[in-house]
Amino acid sequence: MIISTNFLLNKSHNLLRVLANSISTTSRCLKADDRKQLIASTPRKDQGTEGEKTIEIDQLIQKNKIDIFPDENTPNAIFYDMPFKELPIVNIRVSKNNTILSLTNSKGVIQMIRSCGVEGFKNTRKGTNIAAQATAITFCGKVIDRGIKAARIVVRGLGPGRMSAIKGLQMGGLNIVSITDTTRVSWSGPRPRKQRKL
Amino acid sequence: MKHLKFLSRTVFVNNNNVEEACRVLNRVLGKEEIFDQYRRTRYYEKPFQVRRRINFEKCKAIYNEDMDRKIQFILRKNRTEPFPGQY
Repeated sequence: MIISTNFLLNKSHNLLRVLANSISTTSRCLKADDRKQLIASTPRKDQGTEGEKTIEIDQLIQKNKIDIFPDENTPNAIFYDMPFKELPIVNIRVSKNNTILSLTNSKGVIQMIRSCGVEGFKNTRKGTNIAAQATAITFCGKVIDRGIKAARIVVRGLGPGRMSAIKGLQMGGLNIVSITDTTRVSWSGPRPRKQRKL
Repeated sequence: MKHLKFLSRTVFVNNNNVEEACRVLNRVLGKEEIFDQYRRTRYYEKPFQVRRRINFEKCKAIYNEDMDRKIQFILRKNRTEPFPGQY
């Protein structure tokens, strides 16, 4: 049903366009329409939220679903010869234009920091998943040089680097114990900036 | 109550299966509308846009409720009369 109405709308637009071309008026109105169509047709940017809206049936069938989530014994549970609360933390700060990785100890003291910009990607290339992955792999090598085998991961923000940075850390050879999300979300925060004009 | 950092919004990685853990985490956050709220608060949402969105959500919820009821009605079992309206 929806397809057919869209089709009709397009038809009428085309008709209008022909008329407008012959009379050479109302081009401004059509320009706005073109812009809207262009924006609607461009593919949406990947924000690293794979699996947000899908339901996987395999996962629903699995019975041992519960041990994927933490409980009250988690801080003292032992992973890779170390209690969970003493494992080092890899923080990933993702934004639209950059990805920043930092290593901290269990108390939160920063020991190493690296971002896509430091890696050599500049301007818009910083905000791509490839940049994030490359950064994560080199970062991971440096982390392993320090003698760290396993770490907890904390992700903050949405952006193209969200998934690929985690994947890069895995590819680099770091054992990932857990993934935590600390994206700051407020339901009553200060007024955000005004909307972009498109 | 303050949410503890490594207890809330945390997923363990089993058998080095990072992607699945990510997907579970993303699905939970998506269902709780945390991502939606995050995206909504990047730019100010004008009152008319809030009204429009909330009205749309209301309509959608009503439609979904009715549709669920309809599906349940068609899928129901143990009918006293298996083919109602037919003799």
